[in-house]
This record gives sequence, C-alpha cells and structure tokens, in this order.
Amino acid sequence: MTCMPLHRPRGSTRRMFLKTSAAAVGLGLVAARAPAVLGQAKEFKGVTLNGACFQHAYTNVLKEFLKEFEEKTGMRVNFETPAFPVYNQRADLDLSTRGSAWDFLNITFIYSGRWIGAGWMSSLEEFLSDRNATPPDWDAGDFVSGAQASLTDAKGTRYGFAWEAGAMIMAASRYDLIEKAGMKMPETFDQLRQVCAAVDGKDGVKAFVNDNLHHWHWPPYLMGWGGKVFANPPENLTPALDSREAVESAEYYANLLRQYSPSGALSYTMDQGALAQRTGRANLRTQAIAWLAPLATAPDSTVKTTVRFAYMPRGPAGAFPGSVSHGFGIPVGAKNKRAAWEFIKWALSKEMVRRAALEKGYIAVCRKSVIDDPQYRKNMTLNGQDLAALYLRVLEESGRLGYMKYRVVPVYPQVGDKMHKAIERIVTNQQPAREAMAQAQREAVLELKKAGIKIDA
Amino acid sequence: MALLAAVVLFPFLWLLQMSVKPTADINVFPPRLLFTPTGAHYRALWEGAFPVSLWNSTVVSATTTLLALCVGVPAAFALSRARFRHEGAIAFWILATRMAPPIAFTLPYFLIYRHLDLLDTRLGLVVIYLTFNLSLVIWMMRSFFDATPRSLDEAAWIDGASVWQGFVRVTLPLATPGITATAILCFLFSWNDFFFALILTRTRAITAPVAVVNFLNYEGWEWGKIAAGSTLVLLPVLVFSLLVRKYLVGGLTAGAVRA
Repeated sequence: MTCMPLHRPRGSTRRMFLKTSAAAVGLGLVAARAPAVLGQAKEFKGVTLNGACFQHAYTNVLKEFLKEFEEKTGMRVNFETPAFPVYNQRADLDLSTRGSAWDFLNITFIYSGRWIGAGWMSSLEEFLSDRNATPPDWDAGDFVSGAQASLTDAKGTRYGFAWEAGAMIMAASRYDLIEKAGMKMPETFDQLRQVCAAVDGKDGVKAFVNDNLHHWHWPPYLMGWGGKVFANPPENLTPALDSREAVESAEYYANLLRQYSPSGALSYTMDQGALAQRTGRANLRTQAIAWLAPLATAPDSTVKTTVRFAYMPRGPAGAFPGSVSHGFGIPVGAKNKRAAWEFIKWALSKEMVRRAALEKGYIAVCRKSVIDDPQYRKNMTLNGQDLAALYLRVLEESGRLGYMKYRVVPVYPQVGDKMHKAIERIVTNQQPAREAMAQAQREAVLELKKAGIKIDA
Repeated sequence: MALLAAVVLFPFLWLLQMSVKPTADINVFPPRLLFTPTGAHYRALWEGAFPVSLWNSTVVSATTTLLALCVGVPAAFALSRARFRHEGAIAFWILATRMAPPIAFTLPYFLIYRHLDLLDTRLGLVVIYLTFNLSLVIWMMRSFFDATPRSLDEAAWIDGASVWQGFVRVTLPLATPGITATAILCFLFSWNDFFFALILTRTRAITAPVAVVNFLNYEGWEWGKIAAGSTLVLLPVLVFSLLVRKYLVGGLTAGAVRA
C-alpha cells in the first residue's frame, strides 16, 4: 500500500493538471487520426461473422485466404457456400422473413431487384461515407459501372459491391469451319443467320447452341431489334412483349435454336451448352465470358486451337450484350453489420481481387484497376484475342447505356418466366411467334397487376 | 421379364457406370461404354463433407422410423380395437396432416424453427419427419391390426394376459410383415426427403440428397461426384429393400385386405 501525502505544493498540482490535460488532448488527437485498423483488433475480437454465397471460384479463393482476415481482425468467419440453386432458395427465404442468420451474403443478380427493392438489404452509404470505416484508398469508384448497376437503386444508393460479373460475348468453337466457308465472325444478326446456314452440320458440328435461360439469352436479340422488355424500367414497367420487334426477334432467336442447335438444346443447362461447345458438337454461342473463355483454357476442351471470340452481333438498333453481376451485401437483419462491412472490404479490396486474378487465374473481376493490369491482360489474351477488352467494353457499355435495368426490377423473375415459356412454345412449334408473345404479354400484365404495379392502359 | 428389369434398372445402371467413369470420359459423345473404371469420385466424396451428410441422413431416418413406430403402432392398435365416439373423425384428423403439400408448411416451420433454434439440427429434421410419418404408420398399421382376428386378443386375455401383454406377445408378432413394410416406407420417406432438408438445414445437419445437389455448381456440374453421391444415396435403400423384400411384399399385400 502506498502512502500519499495529504498536502501538495500548489504549483506542483497546477503543473500536473496541465501535463495531464496536454497528454489527454494529445492522446485524443492521436486516436482520432489513427488508422481505423488499430481499433479493429479489439473491436472485432470474439465476433463470429456468418456469411453465405454460392460456391464459385472466387469464394474458393476467399476461403483459401480467410485465415489471414481472421488473424488480422480477430473475428471468426463462418462462410457457407452451397450450390447456386440451394443458396438462392435459402437466402430468399431467410431474407423474406427478415432473418438474422447471416451478417453478409451474396446479392444474386436475378434477385437483386427483389431483395433491394423490398428493403431486405442494408444501404452501404453509411460505411462508405465514414473515413474510419472505409479509407479512400479502398476506392469504391474503381468498380466497373455495369457490374454495380444491379447493386444500386434508382437513387444511386449502393447495397452491394460486385465480385463477379458476366459479360455476354460470342464465341465460335470451330472458327476453322466458318473460315472454310469463306466467312468471318458474324457482326450482325443477318450475318449470324448466314453463317449458321453455311456451316450447320459441317464436320458433324451444329452451327449454334445455347442453354435454357431464354430470359437471359433472348433480350439482347430483342433490344438489338429495337424492342424492349418493359416500356421504361424502373419507372414504367408496362411490358412490351407483343411489339413487332419482340415478335420478330423471338422468331429469329427461336429459329437459331430450332434449326441450327443440337437436339435437346432447348432444355440444355448452362453446363450442357458449354460442354456441347467444348467437345466440338456445336459452334457458335452467345453467353457470358466465364462460360466461353474455358473453350480456350479448359483441360478437357477439344477446340482450344480453333476457338474465336467476338463482340455480340448487332441488330438494326445496335448491340446490347447482356451483363450480370453478383455482389456482397449486408441483410437488414444482420447482427454484425460493421464486422460484415469489414469482411466485404477485405474480400473486394484491390489486393484480394488482384491476387484472385493474377495468382489464381480468376476471370470475372469487377475492379477496373485489375482489368487494366498488364498481367491480367496478358492472361486474358486467348488465341491472340484480348478478351479483357471485350469484357470491359460490355460492362462499361451496359453501365453507360443502362439497358440492363429491365433485369433488376423486382418483378423480372415472374415476367422473365413468361418470356422463357414463350420462346419454348415457339421453338417447339406449339404456337407461332405472334401468338406466343401475345400470350406472354397478357400473362406478364396479369403478374404485374397481381404485384400491384401500375402499368399503362 | 429380363427386358422389363433392364428398362427399370437402366437409369440406376447408367448412374453406377457414370460414378466410376473418369471425368474426361463422362461427357464424351457418343458415350463410351468401355473405359477404365476409377474410384476417384468416391474418394473425392469420402475426403469431403459427404460422409457427414450420409451419417446425418442415417441418424435422422433411423431415429424418425423408430420413434414413429414406437408411437404409431400402439396408436394404430388402439384405433383398431377400441370403440369410442368420433373414432372416424380422429383417424381422419391424423391423415389430414399429410393432405397439404409440404410447401404450404415451409414458412411457418421455418419461422418456428428459427425461434426455437432448431434450424440446422438433426432434432429439427426428426421432429418434422415424425409429423409426416406418424400418420403413415397409424393408417398402415391400423389396416394390419384390423386384419388380425380379435379372437386372438381375447384368447390371450382369457389366459390372463393384460391388454398390453396381449398386444406385445400375440398381436405384434403377427403384424411383423406389416411393421417391416411400414418401417421401410417411413425410412424411405425420411431418407429421400429433399425439400425440408433444403430449407431447414445449413451445414451441420445437411442430409445426403441436399449434399448431392451441392455439386450443381454455378460454373459447372460435377457429374462424377453427382453420380457417386446419388449411388451412395440409392444403394443402402436398394440393398435393404432387396433383403427384406419378402416382408415388404407380404406386408403390403396383407395390409391391403381387410378381414
């Protein structure tokens, strides 16, 4: 026990007071200026973060490096990665009940309108505007605009950041057959039809193939024809599926599947479509780059030396290749939002994206700085073609022109289903295109009315 | 007959050959029927999380079957033998639990389970399967007991047996084929369930059918693992059904006829 003097000289007390005050002010200033990370070690120690995403090459990379994040922050991360259909089913159910099972999760592109529109995801603006939560060098503006479109609402509020982007391009697995026919990669819809007619069946290879996601594949043809899915999304969601352009483009696209695709292609999964090309059974396909690049890189590809890539062909109104993106966001019911943001920042930092792209060969990156990296460009030069340039062009064009807005309105899954079935009816000759699209229009209107959405008379 | 068997077994045999086919040969067109078999897909399953899901399926299905029989068989006996008011209404009420499609119960179950912290637990799955299997046991076993002469019970009672002793020592042994058939069906319903396991589990209590679907990845389906996993899900059921087919056929036939 220490004995304290009862009385101190007055001067000494004043000096001590001044010293103590100065020290306190100094410490305060240091604390205010200190990088946020100094405080994080304590702030997140003991936190268990629960997150989910579907299984993907990028989530595999994140899992590989997760230990680093846990050591840095002191938190423990349970990162579930079930298959795509399983994840969507569970996430949709949990979000719709405002659950708190997950602190962060993937915002699946096809559900982004529904999940964000219904208010199930948290705005990230609070974190983005806080310098302690988000240092400027994290650079939110570095994400490609097209990839961010589905994760941002009409007012510009950001709800997620993209880790995967799909950009639709065209690939010919057997370009040698096209050359042999004295033709080039088609640049227009007319040329696409001519090329298909010229090379179909040559060397036992069907001219075209796609998969059963008709509500993803057909709209670029519709827009190329000058048509629209909705009158002016997201403000005016009146469907425009029975327009002249819709009927003509549906007939055109259905004909590619009916006449030039392998038997059964109408119900092909994405994987089966890819296999048809990789095994050299089908030639041309318009699909996201992640499905087409493996034609040149996959070990089991039999068409590595004959593959050729091109921009999506244009119609009378132009070229409108589809783009999609998936991003990490925070559910409104999350228990550890601040910690979840810390994870998202780490998972999508420039360093992590660069590591995934350059060390692990990840293709579908969404940060411009990484896409522009010379090493990435080199990796993405396949058969002498700069795929990175094609990829960036699609993402930037879709962001600039905003033509993918139709895809992220909350009712798109229902309307997309009507379009999908209409294409099936046309391909199988159950209905002529005009009737099928008129029926799709009627059904879409009913769905929109059921959802309480105002549409034009 | 052999042709019919071949047609019926074709999908299973196709799955089986795919499960031992090298990955490079799986998607070759036209399909290769002659190839060097590999155990790589099974090895990959064994080294992953699949054994846990298989174990979960086994525990959940066996527990559900056992509990459903323990509760359902005496209940069926009571419904068969006792005479009381609203007997028909009670029997119908029990059956009514199976009338709505599972999707109708999804949201309430999900919310209740979340509240009770039963999500992603084997106990949660047992409870839900028990709900559905109990009505099956009661209705099936009631038919068997109806087909067993009451005079046998009465003879046991005259010999000094209590109602319970008569049930255990006389009626129950006679209903063995029925119990076997019912147990198999209960086990199969629980073993094959996909929907509730999908909604109510995450990682810890995941069952084998959901684990197989987890190989349908975004960037491509793992056909070899899907085939190997599906074979492992099918095999125990197939073997078990073949082993007890005598009881199964006898039990189902006996249950279909009322005395």
